[in-house]
Amino acid sequence: MKLSAVQADAIQELGNIGAAHAATTLSQMLGSTIEMSVPAIRVVDLSQLGQYMGEESAAMVAFELQGDIPHGGYILFYITRESAVRMTNTMLGLTEINRPLSEMDESALLEVGNIMVSAFLDATAELLGFVMLPSPPSLSIDMAHAAMQSLIAQMQEETDEVLLFSTELVCEEYKVDSDIIMMPERSTLLRIIELLENMMKPG
Amino acid sequence: MIGIGEYRVGSFPMMTIGLGSCIGLTMYDPNLRLGAMVHIMLPESGGRMDRPGKYVDTAVPLLVKELVALGCKNRSIVAKIAGGACMFEYFGTNLNIGERNAAKVRILLKEHNIQLGAEDVGGKVGRSVTFLPANDGKVSIRRADGTSSNL
Repeated sequence: MKLSAVQADAIQELGNIGAAHAATTLSQMLGSTIEMSVPAIRVVDLSQLGQYMGEESAAMVAFELQGDIPHGGYILFYITRESAVRMTNTMLGLTEINRPLSEMDESALLEVGNIMVSAFLDATAELLGFVMLPSPPSLSIDMAHAAMQSLIAQMQEETDEVLLFSTELVCEEYKVDSDIIMMPERSTLLRIIELLENMMKPG
Repeated sequence: MIGIGEYRVGSFPMMTIGLGSCIGLTMYDPNLRLGAMVHIMLPESGGRMDRPGKYVDTAVPLLVKELVALGCKNRSIVAKIAGGACMFEYFGTNLNIGERNAAKVRILLKEHNIQLGAEDVGGKVGRSVTFLPANDGKVSIRRADGTSSNL
């Protein structure tokens, strides 16, 4: 799988728009400013996944991409465990950092993930004229690699490499570092590229 | 470090990290103090031959073949498995890949007359595995909460 420079640019722009909407919702929820990175696109061979996601403990709120393509791949809200605690502390008015995550934290994470991913997909769908809806969310708080690997194993179209499309969202004030990561099926990716290319055609 | 779909054979230390629904399979021959390890992702290859370590039905025969080529006997090889978890409950309900992976490994080991010495599979927990063929084939498992145990 290889993307041309123009295709990569177009997807990056799409990610910018989606992530900007997600960042706005996070900013509202935390009552603070959110900095957003330039979206990164990586084609990762399965055997090399460990270089991007390791043993670190992280919370992942995962959604299957549904809508115009029924099993379109996955999109997830990724946040390290430390950041997750700081974020829910801010939302729930707590201060203790070294504590186990409770059901309250899990509900808060699911809710934040849901709101952010919905905002991301709403914005991209509007631009593309192509409906992508999130499935109900599912949460894993464990080794990042183990969670990611499990999603890849569940993809419909078997492949030896995955496209990870990620944007980092950081809140300096509360030291919260999170990512929105999209992992489309190959056919979904091709469809998105096709729609983007049509949009860029003159006339 | 053994990535998804990769395998190693020898007497050196081997490690694989972050098994979710994947299976870390080790085989050890105490007579020759040799071993092999593979990080398997899916139960069935469906005829694909390019990454034999990725599927249970190609990975098990592959490791057996490699060890036999080095002089190991099937009946002296001891296998251990870890992983096969279900990390996301909602998605896992209709296609529990972890469980299917583990079940398929047990069947394949039996077919090849390989003894399954121990297993730590299932649940909703990620695992990392270290395998030390030179140290009596010791297999240890680490979890995200920092706890570790020997298998």
